[in-house]
Amino acid sequence: MDKPRSSSHVTALRDDAVLRRVRYLGSARDGLGEWQLQRWTAIALIPLGLYFVASILSLASADRAMVVTWLSGLVPALLVVFLMAAALAHSYAGLRSIFADYVHERRASFVAELLLRAATAVLFGSSILAVLRIFLGRTGV
Amino acid sequence: MERPISPFMFPMWYRFQITSALSILHRLTGIALSVGLIVLAWWLISVAVGGEIFRLTRAVLVSPIGTIALFGWSVAFFYHLCSGIRHLAWDAGLGFDLRVVYRSGYGVLAATVLLTGLTWLYVLTR
Repeated sequence: MDKPRSSSHVTALRDDAVLRRVRYLGSARDGLGEWQLQRWTAIALIPLGLYFVASILSLASADRAMVVTWLSGLVPALLVVFLMAAALAHSYAGLRSIFADYVHERRASFVAELLLRAATAVLFGSSILAVLRIFLGRTGV
Repeated sequence: MERPISPFMFPMWYRFQITSALSILHRLTGIALSVGLIVLAWWLISVAVGGEIFRLTRAVLVSPIGTIALFGWSVAFFYHLCSGIRHLAWDAGLGFDLRVVYRSGYGVLAATVLLTGLTWLYVLTR
């Protein structure tokens, strides 16, 4: 028998009791983690999103020096990093569920998944690098 | 007729109702906000790089089209926030009574209008 991979594999229900491997386009057995990720990031995004909107509003119509000064602080920089991480993870889970509902063709869904992962990785890496660069003062005011 | 797959009821077999409309709106605003994340990441990069790139980014954002887009994203943000809280309440098993569902739905719409209005009132009167 395979090694247990998730908690549902070690419950009392065994192969002979339930059809564990749903055939064809059935459950992939690993959706719970993504469902939970969507909820945890949703909860995190309530304060993070409100903080970000309030911060942007308090900056004088996006004068660059003020933004740089704001993101030079440890707490703002950290919160914006958390915001980007949570928002991108939340967006990834949400868009994946939309693809699952509307993209039926196998090749199209593969391409959609590939593009989504690539875009998420690029956006995460570049925005974190941007915040880090401002925070470390490697950018002229 | 081809066999229907997943979301197929709306709009052909379903009568319009606020519950399904709000549910679809939650997804549409989610997509809009995902696109907004690209702009947000770009804006952060432009602040880090500075110079001409920041000036250009700022010029686009404060232009009429940019402002309309920002207004749209603010509506999407506040709607998705309020509607998301409603969804989290459902996840916790709260508010399933049909009358409560309708009331919270209209509440989400009212809160969206209120929060968006207050935000832009603050921006425009500053």
